[in-house]
Amino acid sequence: MPPRRISDVNYMDVDSDSDVSIVDDDDFGGRNKKGKGKATDKKKKDKGKSKAKEQPYAWEASYTRSWDTVQEDEAGSLQTAVADLMARSRRRRLLAPSGAIRRTIIRHLILILDLSSSMLDRDMRPNRFDLTLEYAREFIVEWFDQNPLGQIGVVGMRSGLGERLGEMSGSPQDVLKSISERHKIEPAGEPSLQNAIEMARSSMSHLPTHSSRELLIIYGSLTTVDPGNIHETLASCIKDKIRVSIVSLAAEMKICREFSDKTGGQFGVAMNEGHYKDLLFELIPPPFLRSTTTTTSSSTKQTTSIPADLMLMGFPTRLPPTSAPALCVCHSALKSEGFLCPRCGAKVCDVPTDCDICGLMIVSSPHLARSYHHLFPVKGYIAVTTLQDSPPPSQNCHACARPFPPPITSTISEGMSPLSRYKCPDCNNDFCTECDVFVHEVVHCCPGCGK
Amino acid sequence: MDTASHLSVILDLSPTQWHLSSLPSNTHPLSVASFLSQLLAFLNSHVAIKHENSLAVFGALPGKSVMLYASTETGSESTELADSNTYLPFKLVDATVVERIMDELDALGDPEEEEPIALVGALTKSLCYINRVMSPSTSSAPGGGTSEDQTTLTDPRILILSVSPDLSTSYIPIMNSIFSAQKLKVTIDVCKVYGEDTVFLQQAAHLTGGSYIYLERRDALLQYLIMSNLPPPPLRLLLSVPTQDKIDFRAACFCHKNIIDVGFVCSVCLSIFCQPIPVCSTCRTKFPMKTLRRLNEAMPPGARNPAGTPSRATPAPTASGRGTPAPGGPGRGAPVPSGSGRGTPTPGGPGRGGSNGSSRPPGGSSITAGLANNLR
Ligand SMILES: [Zn+2]
Ligand SMILES: [Zn+2]
Ligand SMILES: [Zn+2]
Ligand SMILES: [Zn+2]
Ligand SMILES: [Zn+2]
Ligand SMILES: [Zn+2]
Repeated sequence: MPPRRISDVNYMDVDSDSDVSIVDDDDFGGRNKKGKGKATDKKKKDKGKSKAKEQPYAWEASYTRSWDTVQEDEAGSLQTAVADLMARSRRRRLLAPSGAIRRTIIRHLILILDLSSSMLDRDMRPNRFDLTLEYAREFIVEWFDQNPLGQIGVVGMRSGLGERLGEMSGSPQDVLKSISERHKIEPAGEPSLQNAIEMARSSMSHLPTHSSRELLIIYGSLTTVDPGNIHETLASCIKDKIRVSIVSLAAEMKICREFSDKTGGQFGVAMNEGHYKDLLFELIPPPFLRSTTTTTSSSTKQTTSIPADLMLMGFPTRLPPTSAPALCVCHSALKSEGFLCPRCGAKVCDVPTDCDICGLMIVSSPHLARSYHHLFPVKGYIAVTTLQDSPPPSQNCHACARPFPPPITSTISEGMSPLSRYKCPDCNNDFCTECDVFVHEVVHCCPGCGK
Repeated sequence: MDTASHLSVILDLSPTQWHLSSLPSNTHPLSVASFLSQLLAFLNSHVAIKHENSLAVFGALPGKSVMLYASTETGSESTELADSNTYLPFKLVDATVVERIMDELDALGDPEEEEPIALVGALTKSLCYINRVMSPSTSSAPGGGTSEDQTTLTDPRILILSVSPDLSTSYIPIMNSIFSAQKLKVTIDVCKVYGEDTVFLQQAAHLTGGSYIYLERRDALLQYLIMSNLPPPPLRLLLSVPTQDKIDFRAACFCHKNIIDVGFVCSVCLSIFCQPIPVCSTCRTKFPMKTLRRLNEAMPPGARNPAGTPSRATPAPTASGRGTPAPGGPGRGAPVPSGSGRGTPTPGGPGRGGSNGSSRPPGGSSITAGLANNLR
């Protein structure tokens, strides 16, 4: 995501009534700290108008949006506010376990979309349904970027039935296609939580134990019409180790809360468009393996609970664009480019996939490599507070070679360095604020240690 | 082509490799001196092609990486160099680059054993630099005022001039750098000046849409550079720049470094093995017997692995000299002594051409040793 330039906030002047544009820009939340600050002052003027709509209920007051907390300092600069946001993410990083972590790398997710008439509600702009489709698309793209070996299926809830919109697939294009035709999934009727979950559960029953089974339910309704006892469905989800996460667009329902609590998923009620997206995107990074908590308490009985397995995978031969065209097994299309299954020689268009002929999981080595940074994260840098105890400090950042800025005299929040210096605990080099963020969030490799 | 472009050049300055490269026994010997003169001509042409073009030069030295030159960082000394016979920007680049290289090479001293080239450091530094110059700074700049007058880089690209072979321990960091280059939309070009093809850099060029050139006539370095690395990425749609046709994305097993078609992958740490094994040698995860039996049956008879049968053999049947398995064998819940860096079988990164644990530098094994301890 390219950092947004300050000048981009001009859009605010065009149509200050529209919530959509505000949200589009601001919902990057903690991820994009740059440039978002300026939206605030305009937002303040806006508040009078939109307040009534934004906080209709008292319970909403407990949620503070990240952009509401941004305050200008006495000099009218947003510097402190931005620094504060960065400090927060840095602290989070330092709290995270430093060494290697175990995460579920092979994920299987079924996205269950509420397609009941309650989705036509306009409390989110343009309406819940269109916003959901838009966010679902962004979610799918980002999810596959971070979980290259995962698969997503899509199920809809409409007219009291569960409807399979897309089969489990490892290709983002296939999944996106299943929700691309809006007229085919027009909301209607009542949703049935039980029918949809049972349908999703049945399509996950064959999955190997080492992969995760996750359901993400986007629920707009406050009721569910079920043919039987939904608590039995809950029990079978627990038995099958299916993790159910629910993002509700209306309000908290007891059965939803129970589902996510008992299956180890997450539950959230979206307060507004930005919060809705935050709730969805929180579910993107690969989850920690659940037994990590028991590991710390006792060293004798952990491994039993970790679902691990040895997987058979094929590494395909890539056909160059100049090779002779041949039919692929997945679309029966004539193409030159493609990959050959190493076991049966069938030609597939894209990897990772399961071979359509022999069922072998076909991946290329970069796909595996894309997940390694989740497993081997870079150690958090330590904020340098004084130059006293170190040997002559370097004048420039070790990574970008730019000089460090003069010390900040104003108050700074915990975890921030007044000298804008951050030291790698391994190679003892100092890095500037920008490089610290970049190294930990993008590169995942310390420029000093080279690993 | 109206926009300015940014070029970061990474020089592989391994003294050993350059010595080998200059030996007269080569078909086309190339010494550092003649390499540098051709390189400077290339750098000058990049500077000359458009006034706004920016340039940064990084050096990868044994165990160390440095920034040699950056056009955005030149300070006060520029006027001293003025000389009526030379175009000042040329002189600046040439003088700075040569002087810094000499300084760094002198500072190297004469160790008995050369450390591996810090290519990863140079690559990540150049990415940090591009990131820093591309995105206007916000927090560290006092008053936040520098953002507007900052030059923004367009079409950034990195050119790696490589002479050293792949270093198996750097597989993960190189792949991470490649993915971040993709995110920043940085093109990575690779010119292999001396030595065997490097698979990691081939992948870097392929995955970022850059070109990979293996120099056949090394005396014609300048020509290669000008023909294929001078045009910025938008122009390459018109000029056909050499790319690699055959890059195989097959993987090497961690246990023998064999390139394999079908492998066994640990679901927890994604280590690749050529045979079914009962315990992952990287993360010490134990695999269910049921799977082992099933996979063993699926294997072609000739390739069947005795360790895969429920005999509970050592974790890595082939790990000669790779240390002992944890006391108690791979029995369930046997504790691993903490700090057992030496005893942990540590495959290098999942890499092709990845060396196995025995030949890894001590630093490399600490990740996986830490991993093993952490996981138990
Ligand atoms: Zn196809
Ligand atoms: Zn096949
Ligand atoms: Zn820096
Ligand atoms: Zn470091
Ligand atoms: Zn092997
Ligand atoms: Zn493993």
